[in-house]
Amino acid sequence: MKDLLKQNNIALCYEIEKLQRSLRDAQVNIPEELKPYAEWIINECENFHRNVLQNIRYLEFGQEDILKNILSNTQNVANAFYILNQYQVSPILRAHTSDRLALKLLLWLHKTHSETKNIPVAVFDGEFSIWLIGPSIYFTPCTSQHGLLNLPLFFHEFGHLLHKCYQPEIDALINELQVAIGHLLLPPVERDDQYAQTQEKSRNVIVATWYEWAKEFFCDAVGFTLGGTSFAYAFSMYLRILGKSEYHVSKEGLARSSHPVTWIRIHLLADRARRTGYEEVASDLEEKWSQVAAALGVMEDYYGFYDPKFLSVIQGKLDDMITETGPREFQESEISNQELESSLISPVALLNKAWQKFIEDPDGYHEWEEDAIASFLDADLGTFLT
Amino acid sequence: MKPKELAVQSFHENQKLLSAVNTVSIHTKLEMAGRSDLKGAETVIAAKDTLNVFFKELDVIVQRAEESETKLLLGVDARRRQFIRNFIAAKRNYRIQSPSLRGKLSDVAQMIYSDKEIDKQDILIVLEELRMLLEEHIASDTEVLLGGI
Repeated sequence: MKDLLKQNNIALCYEIEKLQRSLRDAQVNIPEELKPYAEWIINECENFHRNVLQNIRYLEFGQEDILKNILSNTQNVANAFYILNQYQVSPILRAHTSDRLALKLLLWLHKTHSETKNIPVAVFDGEFSIWLIGPSIYFTPCTSQHGLLNLPLFFHEFGHLLHKCYQPEIDALINELQVAIGHLLLPPVERDDQYAQTQEKSRNVIVATWYEWAKEFFCDAVGFTLGGTSFAYAFSMYLRILGKSEYHVSKEGLARSSHPVTWIRIHLLADRARRTGYEEVASDLEEKWSQVAAALGVMEDYYGFYDPKFLSVIQGKLDDMITETGPREFQESEISNQELESSLISPVALLNKAWQKFIEDPDGYHEWEEDAIASFLDADLGTFLT
Repeated sequence: MKPKELAVQSFHENQKLLSAVNTVSIHTKLEMAGRSDLKGAETVIAAKDTLNVFFKELDVIVQRAEESETKLLLGVDARRRQFIRNFIAAKRNYRIQSPSLRGKLSDVAQMIYSDKEIDKQDILIVLEELRMLLEEHIASDTEVLLGGI
């Protein structure tokens, strides 16, 4: 066992050193915005390297009863290194100058909040998601990285980071929401028979599902708070043509779902937009989703997992979560964009301007977008509102 | 969050915990054999602090889970719920045999820092059993993240 472990640790050591060399070479050409992330990854490699050398040192003690722990340590470093090697280094080794648009927006976003301002960011290809591993890797489809219209979806992912920063507080509020939904699901008359037991089991499944759902609704609320109507448009446009599953999910599917049915999310977003004075946007969202649903022949049915009577308690708890986490709130001037060149007052203004331009003149949009991106990339982050 | 996002977050948290378990175990075993590992002193203190916080948090959630009639753990994420369920099941079917780990976990949190020989022996058994559970839990995360060849 001792020899085997020594062999594996030496092999790991070589692999880590090889990666460290590749990272050092790549670091010269990466965008400035990616450098804090690259530094973190390089430090992480140094930690792995230190751990492997420590394992080799422990082996030299020749003490039998620590071998199982050294094996466990070796497996642990190997798994962490393989994950880093497979996923986390790609944003550096495959970096491209076009990453700058997304990186600059994300750096700004992180700087808007005291808890996230020092957390490095990276972007990489994939479906919209975030990896919370110390720094944050934001995944996004390739074309979305090069345009403005889908970038507001990052605001939802940022919500997951805020959840991590305020996990005890948010989880306590989710707990309260789950209890409240459990009460709303209680029948008017309680029975003491087998039927009542089956009903209780179904209620428990719904209440348990609401932990994951509440997290996603919170992230949507963060998205709207940060991006205003640009978030609502991006969210709706991206998801409304992805098929029936965005509108309807079977009862069994709902019971093991990690995300709420998107149509419910649209209702909540529309309600949030309405409550902040964007009645027209709210109606437009709901109307468009109703149109597609009608064309697909979908009737709204959430099998008890959601009911409009939940709305006020959900929004109340989401408001509490927003107060607790304090994301930057969009300003009316960033949405209306009335001032000349006002799109450059902040990234939020730029994204809202993009959506206005796209809605008003889809054909002329791309020409405008190219110029707008160039100006944004030239601008100093410090000039933007925080 | 999507399964891969949850898995990477869970892996990241539990990997640190497992590392702390092994650091304290190795250090204690070396110490009991009369060997000192001065180079790792700071790491050992940090590892003990990590485990102290973990056992305190685990104490609260396990108590809640064991007291709850409906066995619903509210306000806890899916991967952590799974760990708690596995932990309680391991106590019930005696895969966890350590009286300390079966008992009040806040006491274990304190025992981590003890210099008494009897506590050190006890803590080694606790950490051995915790390591088993953590490795199983991490294995399901790495399966999602790394898959097979």
